[in-house]
Amino acid sequence: MGKVRITVPMNRVEGDLEVRVEIADGVAVDAWCSGTMYRGFERILEGRGALDGLVLTPRICGICGISHLRAAATALENLAGITPPPDATRIRNLTVMTEHVQSDIRQSFLMFAVDFLNPVYEATPLYGEALARFQPFKGETVRQVIRETKKILEIIAILGGQWPHSPFIVPGGLASQPTGESLLRCRLILEQFRRWYERRILGCELERWLEILDSDDLDGWLEEREEHWKSDLGLLLRLARQHGLDRIGGGHDSFLSYGGFPEPDQEKSKGKNGLFPAGFLLDNEVHALDEKRVTEHVAYSWYVDYKGGKHPGDGETQPYATGAEGDKYSWAKAPRYDGRPAETGPLASMMVAGNPLFQDLVRQNGPNAMARQLARLVRPAYFLPAMQRWLAGVSGDEEFYRSNGEIHDGTGCGLGEAARGGLGHWVTIERGRIKKYQIVTPTAWNASPRDSDGTRGPMEESLVGTPVRDPENPVELSHVVRSFDPCLVCTVHAVGRGKKLGRLRLSMTK
Amino acid sequence: MGSSLYWLQCGGCSGDTWSLFGSETPDVVELLELLEIEVLWHPSLSVASPVEHRRILQRIVDGELELDLLCVEGAIIRGPGGTGMFDTFHGHPKKDLVSKLANRAGTVLAMGTCASFGGVPATGEIEATGLQFHRKVTGGFLGENFRSRSGLPVINLPGCPCHGEVMSGVLTALVTGGQLVLTANNVPEQWYGMLVHQGCVRNEYHEFRVEEHDFGEKGCLFFHMGCQAPMTYGVCNKVLWNRRNSKTSAGVPCLGCTRPDFPREHPFFKSESIAGVPLKLPIGVDRAHYLAYKGLAAAAAPQRLLRRETRV
Repeated sequence: MGKVRITVPMNRVEGDLEVRVEIADGVAVDAWCSGTMYRGFERILEGRGALDGLVLTPRICGICGISHLRAAATALENLAGITPPPDATRIRNLTVMTEHVQSDIRQSFLMFAVDFLNPVYEATPLYGEALARFQPFKGETVRQVIRETKKILEIIAILGGQWPHSPFIVPGGLASQPTGESLLRCRLILEQFRRWYERRILGCELERWLEILDSDDLDGWLEEREEHWKSDLGLLLRLARQHGLDRIGGGHDSFLSYGGFPEPDQEKSKGKNGLFPAGFLLDNEVHALDEKRVTEHVAYSWYVDYKGGKHPGDGETQPYATGAEGDKYSWAKAPRYDGRPAETGPLASMMVAGNPLFQDLVRQNGPNAMARQLARLVRPAYFLPAMQRWLAGVSGDEEFYRSNGEIHDGTGCGLGEAARGGLGHWVTIERGRIKKYQIVTPTAWNASPRDSDGTRGPMEESLVGTPVRDPENPVELSHVVRSFDPCLVCTVHAVGRGKKLGRLRLSMTK
Repeated sequence: MGSSLYWLQCGGCSGDTWSLFGSETPDVVELLELLEIEVLWHPSLSVASPVEHRRILQRIVDGELELDLLCVEGAIIRGPGGTGMFDTFHGHPKKDLVSKLANRAGTVLAMGTCASFGGVPATGEIEATGLQFHRKVTGGFLGENFRSRSGLPVINLPGCPCHGEVMSGVLTALVTGGQLVLTANNVPEQWYGMLVHQGCVRNEYHEFRVEEHDFGEKGCLFFHMGCQAPMTYGVCNKVLWNRRNSKTSAGVPCLGCTRPDFPREHPFFKSESIAGVPLKLPIGVDRAHYLAYKGLAAAAAPQRLLRRETRV
């Protein structure tokens, strides 16, 4: 069998992503990830009011708007030297995590699990069970997920007004003070959601799940009780193993996490990094995160070339694309940390945090599609107790906002974990207006094209080596791509000022 | 006999999809069942393979598969230079697909402000526009004279995102043969015939001109914090968001997101004002009378409001 090149256009991803793969003798030997939409968000922000990023950047993404909102507020706090009051930090952590939890569960069952219904699996043992639960619109799990994820979002509506898209997180804290009765309502919603997650998704109490420290424990847990075996997590694990997802979807073995869930009382928690700390993991060593080491390359992106990589604060974004050019293939730039590609997302957070289960899974098989998806689906088990603790810790009578007057001129950077991984905002304010705004999204990291050294992005690398039985129906590649939970509405880069757009000739299908 | 629906995402954030997922009793899946709507395609939900998807599209375009409802989310991206290549589908401009589908559709619905009027993308350089409006001006991508098979112009359901209950309500009306009365912006009057201000729990602060000057205070957000609620049509404070709340009730100023001119140029969280009085006043009021009334009302403000003793 000779070489074939196929396109794996993805549905059920947020935004527009095209993945092209070269297959030789039934194995993927090369891959290219292209963001196919260009939205020009950063340029929209230039010249606008200092606070306008709070309103506009969440509109980059309808499923992780609060992560953008918090990054925008944090960047301005960084610029202005403000620390929000402890109760505001509690509510911010709680609402960001609420958004992550709905995204993790929706992605797992509305997007990821659906690939197990691929016709190629029709004759396999678990197909009937998968169909009964994961069939779009009809499956039992799908219907419950739609119902319950909607309910947990009510917490954000109660505290922030609505979901999606309410700018209730502001530099200095929150836009308003939650009342005691609204906090009580949130506690009930959270407790109810936790019970559903335990009963339906895990099949056990959170405490039992958190006892799992390595892959033997995981096997033991799965066999221990029928409830574990039969839970949605249990079924997903069985399906993933049956179809070999633990053996595909490797990567560069470098992981990036921005952290971003600070303990509220910063004095008392000095030296502690909070839940899921920031860091860069390379060769089994965690390095402290330094945002100055983040750069973006454009050698293979449709922008005017510059040499090597540039820090987002110094970045240029001038679109440049021509069918004759050959090399460039994506609207996403190529972010690098210390010059290296890095995977970000729930698995990366677990690895950087030193979670023993995920470290063991990766030690045994390397990064893989199953571990990546498992990290996402069980992340709520690690979040929910912290969410409950923070919510219970809000007194309701303390301050929720500290003003520092108008935002003065300067530059600031806001980093934090979005549902899909590390999200960074870099802002420059001049005379009360936004002079420059640069955003590097998690999917820009994961679905990155090649950099100026020609090194593939994490998702591209993870596709290489994947066996593909049928190039007409490459479901294996689909599992790998989806394990990253790609969100290409994240491709936000701006049109350069003064560029004559009419002269560009574009070819998106080389 | 059910209706068929195709959901197309263009230059947007998928917020309208997730907003629809937040609608309740019935939820989105139950709604589709009750109304016997067959979803030919939704990008976040459909299981059809890319090959099947293209076949479905081809059959719609060829007139072999009837399309009753075309829902478009996101602005139509025409750049660069009118090519549409900033947003492609299988290598072709997605805008071409929008035309083909709109010409076959029974009814075309613009889900959200981006598809209705262009929204945030229309303020950038990607040549984005709404389906039949470009901000306040009629025309947009399909042109002023466009009519779908049902004889209707594009039905605009603005909001950034559109309220989930508005989308489910309008779908119900269309499928069950209800009559929609459209306003000048082609929005259904039934869902946009009230101001966001109406029903805001902070109304009493507005009434007595008790003002909020900075976040975290209690007071009316209109005078200094840039609240657009008295100038914006929407159900936000009548049909609550996520069944629970609204922005203004949570102390977040209305952003005016259902308006054709959203996002406005003036900085958010600030009112354009002269001597503490906003330049833009509630829709329909006479400036001189309004100022006289507000002066008297402020003088009559009860102490419990001035001392912020109320829990609102």
